[in-house]
Amino acid sequence: MKRAPSALALAILGLLVLGAALASLAFGDAALPARDLGAALLGQGDELARTVLWDIRLPRTLVGLAVGAALGASGVVMQAFFRNPLASPGLLGVSSGGALGAVAALAAGGAGSLYTVPAASILGAFLATGAVMLLARQGASAEHLLLAGVALNALFGAGTSALIALSAVDVQASGQILFWLMGGIENRTWEHVAMALPGILLAAAFLLPLGRRLNLLALGEGGAQSLGVDVRRLRWQLIALSTVLTALATAVAGVVGFVGLVVPHLARLAFGPDHRRLLPLSMLGGAALVLLCDLPTRFISGGLRLGVVTALVGGPFLLGLLRRRPC
Amino acid sequence: MLRAEALSVPGRLAGVDLAVGAGEVVAVLGPNGAGKSTLLSALAGLLPCEGRIQWSGRDLPRIPFLERGRMLAWLGQESPADFAFPVREVVAQGRYAWNDDDHGVEATLEALDITHLAGRAITQLSGGERRRVFLARALATGAPVQLWDEPASSLDVRHALEVYALARKLADHGHALLVSLHDIRAAYRFSRALVLDRGRLVADGEPHAVLTADLLRSVFRIEARFVTSLVPELPEPPCA
Repeated sequence: MKRAPSALALAILGLLVLGAALASLAFGDAALPARDLGAALLGQGDELARTVLWDIRLPRTLVGLAVGAALGASGVVMQAFFRNPLASPGLLGVSSGGALGAVAALAAGGAGSLYTVPAASILGAFLATGAVMLLARQGASAEHLLLAGVALNALFGAGTSALIALSAVDVQASGQILFWLMGGIENRTWEHVAMALPGILLAAAFLLPLGRRLNLLALGEGGAQSLGVDVRRLRWQLIALSTVLTALATAVAGVVGFVGLVVPHLARLAFGPDHRRLLPLSMLGGAALVLLCDLPTRFISGGLRLGVVTALVGGPFLLGLLRRRPC
Repeated sequence: MLRAEALSVPGRLAGVDLAVGAGEVVAVLGPNGAGKSTLLSALAGLLPCEGRIQWSGRDLPRIPFLERGRMLAWLGQESPADFAFPVREVVAQGRYAWNDDDHGVEATLEALDITHLAGRAITQLSGGERRRVFLARALATGAPVQLWDEPASSLDVRHALEVYALARKLADHGHALLVSLHDIRAAYRFSRALVLDRGRLVADGEPHAVLTADLLRSVFRIEARFVTSLVPELPEPPCA
C-alpha cells in the first residue's frame, strides 16, 4: 500500500478531529445550527445556546478529545512495548484497577460528589500502575509483565464482580455501576476536563519525543540497547506514561474498550510503522473515534453507551484482522 | 579494543578471560548451549554478569549508553519482524547514536547486497534476506568493534562467504570482530578461534593450531579428518 506522507496524514486526521469536534458540539437533544454554534462559541447570541455549548457540550467534547488521544497513544506504546499489534491499554490491568476503584466508590454510595468516583478510579488505576512499575523497575521481561497484567486483570475483575453482586439489591447503585463500566462522556463538566486534560497533555508531551526509541525497541530490546538506547529507563518511562494516560482516561470516561487497540492498528496500516508519526496520528485518530462513537449515544437513549459503540465498531474490526492474520 | 576478565554469567558462562585487538577477526565456536551467545551478549553489555569488561580500555559500566552505540555493534541471533519497517529505515537505525540518519546507509546496503530490497518491508523478506538487513544495521553503526552472533545462519553459500569476506575486510581496516558460528570449516578463514564448552573457554588461538582432531572430539564428540575437497570460494573480491 502506498503510504501517505506525514504532513498530509496529519492534515487529514486533523480535519477529521475538527469535523468530529464540531459535530460533537452541534448535535444533541437541542441541535445547534452552524450560525448559533459560531455565535455561542464567540460568547454571543441566544443565552440558552451559550449555556448548552459552554456548560454541556464543550466539556463533553474536550473530555472526549482527551480520552481518545490518551487511549490512542497508550495503545501505540503497549503494542510497541510488547511487540504485538494486538496489545491494548488495558493489558496491564490499569483500566480494570480504575474500574474497581470507581465501582467501589459507587457501591459505597459515592456518586453524590463529582470528584469521588474519578478520584477512586485514579486511585485504583495507580495501584495497578504501581504494581506493574515495581515489576518493570526490577527488570521484569515483557512476558513477565504481560502475565502480571493477566493476574491483575483477573484480580480486579473478581473484585468488581463481587461488588456488583453485593450491590445488586441497591437498584440505583448497581445501575450507576453498570453504566460506568460501559464507559461514557455524557454530563461531563469543566471539573472533569480539569481532572483529565492537563495530565494527559503532560504525558503526551513526554511521550511524543520517544518515537525514534520506540522504533528501535519494536525490533528487539537487545538490538535497541546495543544501538545506544538505555532500554531499562525507556521501558520504565513507557510504562509510566502509558499507564498514566490510561488511568486518567478511565477515571473520567469509564471503561472505553477497543479505541487503544483499533486506532494504532489502523494508523499503522495506513501510515506505516514509524512511531514518530504513529504517536501523533493515533492520538488524533483516537480523539476522532471517541467523538464520533459518542454521537449515536446522544440519540438512542438507554443501552447505547460509548463503550458499547466503540466495542460494536472494534469487535468486527478485530475479527476481520484475525481472519487476515492468523495467530 | 575489547577485554574481559573472569567474565561469568551464573549457570551459563564461567570465568572467561579474553582480549581482542584491532585487526583481529575471531571465530567463536562451541556446541549448542556452550555459551557463545551468552558470551557475545555479556561482552555487549546486554546481560547482567560478574567480572570485568573493558571497551577501549574503559570499564563498560562507566560508558554512557549513547556512546556504547558508537563503540560496539551487536548482531543478535534473531532477526525480528513484528512490524513492517522498510529495510532502509531498519539499516538507518544503526545511526541512532550518531543522530545522522542516512550517513553511509546506501554504502552499507550495497555491501550486504540488499540495495534492491531497500524499499521493501522487513516482514516481506526471507529469513536470509532479513539476516543481511540486521547485519547491515550493525555495520551502519560504523562501530570499530563488531560482535555477530551466527551472522551466516539462514544465508545461502554465496552470501555466507561474502559475510566472512566482509569480516576479514573490516579487520584489515582496523576493526575487531567476534563472530560466533557453527560451520567449523569456515573458522579456518578467521585469524583466531575461541572454543567454548559448557560455559568455559577451552581453546584460544590460531585456527589451524587449536582446531585439532583431539579438541573437536572432546568438545563436539565427533571424529574429524582433514581432507582436501571442494572448497567454495567467491569468484571475485566482494564489494564493501
